[in-house]
Amino acid sequence: MPLALRDLQRAFAAHLAGDDQPALAAEVRPGAARLGIHRHHVLDSLASALAATFPTVQAVVGADYFRGLARAFIGGSLPVQPVLAEYGADFPAFVAGHDVSRGLPYLADVARLDWALNLAFHAPAGDRLVAADLATVPADRLPALRLALAPGTALVGSPYPLDRIWRASQPGAPADPVDLASGGVHLLVLRRPDDAVFVALSAGEAAFARGIAEGLSLEDAAGRGASGFDLSAAFARLLGLGVLAAVQ
Amino acid sequence: MQPVAGQLIVGQPVAGIGLRAPHLAEIVRERPATGFLEIHAENYLAGSPALQALESLRSDYALSIHAVGLSLGSVEGLDEAHLARVAALVKRVEPALVSDHLSWSSVDGRYFNDLLPLPYTEESLAVVVRNVQHVQEALGRTISVENPSCYLAFAQSTISEPEFLAELSRRSGCGLLLDVNNIAVTAHNLGLVANDWLDLPGEAITQYHLAGHAANDADGERILIDDHGSRVSDGVWSLFAEVVERFGRRPTLVEWDTDLPALPVLLEEAARAASVGGRGAARAA
Repeated sequence: MPLALRDLQRAFAAHLAGDDQPALAAEVRPGAARLGIHRHHVLDSLASALAATFPTVQAVVGADYFRGLARAFIGGSLPVQPVLAEYGADFPAFVAGHDVSRGLPYLADVARLDWALNLAFHAPAGDRLVAADLATVPADRLPALRLALAPGTALVGSPYPLDRIWRASQPGAPADPVDLASGGVHLLVLRRPDDAVFVALSAGEAAFARGIAEGLSLEDAAGRGASGFDLSAAFARLLGLGVLAAVQ
Repeated sequence: MQPVAGQLIVGQPVAGIGLRAPHLAEIVRERPATGFLEIHAENYLAGSPALQALESLRSDYALSIHAVGLSLGSVEGLDEAHLARVAALVKRVEPALVSDHLSWSSVDGRYFNDLLPLPYTEESLAVVVRNVQHVQEALGRTISVENPSCYLAFAQSTISEPEFLAELSRRSGCGLLLDVNNIAVTAHNLGLVANDWLDLPGEAITQYHLAGHAANDADGERILIDDHGSRVSDGVWSLFAEVVERFGRRPTLVEWDTDLPALPVLLEEAARAASVGGRGAARAA
């Protein structure tokens, strides 16, 4: 009795996920070994997609180790839709829980930074506020203003010097060792017209930006900063970076 | 129903190239002469600077949107959210051609990023006809369906691939995208005769694809892999000449996706494709 199409596709999917299917194998001509071509292609092409999205993770652990890490992830987290630029949201959490993070405790943060850069690169251009947009707002109304972060903007914090780790992992970077004990960072990831980048913020600026993202007024968001926080300087910096937008 | 070809007229000796990320800046800057540009739909759905570049190229080039993820052979039907995104891209870009493959990629909400084979049965035919009709309704236009490269077949198949494609076109009104390299790969891997694809209904064929393939030895068995990673092989050029002789010219894409060469090499390969079937050129190819 041949497999009905639904059963055949489910059996094929189970085979691709690593679970051999005798009923399917019996249907395959010229021989069941040919199924391996598809299993290999699925794992290999998805590992390549993850390598494109997490280039810094790959640079840190090396291409061969990355393949194994990716394959271990793929088995339990196949894509749920065909846009591969959107595949891998769970990879940083997978890395955090993987044995590799015992030796490389900053690797999951590297993955989070790669993912944030990927999201920023694919974010819609969107309208960003510039200084002229605020020229009509009376100065005494500014503290009560509620804004949003522009599409693709993200905050990535780490107890490790993530910016230095990232730079040391770029192609052609000098092989200077990074002192892991040199302190943590607050990185702001943002989309520019042709690429995505990050800049380092002070702790106060990061808390301020997070408050804006949560929908607080500028005054309340500034209250998240440390005492002596310079609201107008921080606001001017975020405005200059083009990461502020009107609330939609 | 006559398949829509837009600015790309069936019978024109045009050949185009894929718009791939490493060539994007050069193409935007130099605007090289080529018949059309092809994109993979799934690479332009997430939004990116590349999508803005594509919009800037629209005025100078006819475009072809080639989808790889609609999963026309999925028994569970189509991913409506994905179809809506492809439809929005088609509306935004207004391509001359839209296509996907005779294959499936998704089941139970999981996507495998491969063009997986179908058994060629009446049951499969009904599924693909239904899915193709649904895509065509969503896009408001006909699409073309491409013959896949096959590495295996199913014992339960009762219909040959060319017969399956012909019947799919007859029942759904879709066009056919004839990938000449895929014919060569499938025929070799499954012990079939490439000339069987020359029995397709020529009036349904809207496009041709050409590409390079690799040969792998698996346990002493030579298997051709459709990797789009090299020049078109001599055997595929010969088969292409026969195809053009049989069906006439169609807009032709040279696909090159891995080990991408410098842009001039790709353009040269496309120019060669455009010359096949011209007066006095058919025999030279």
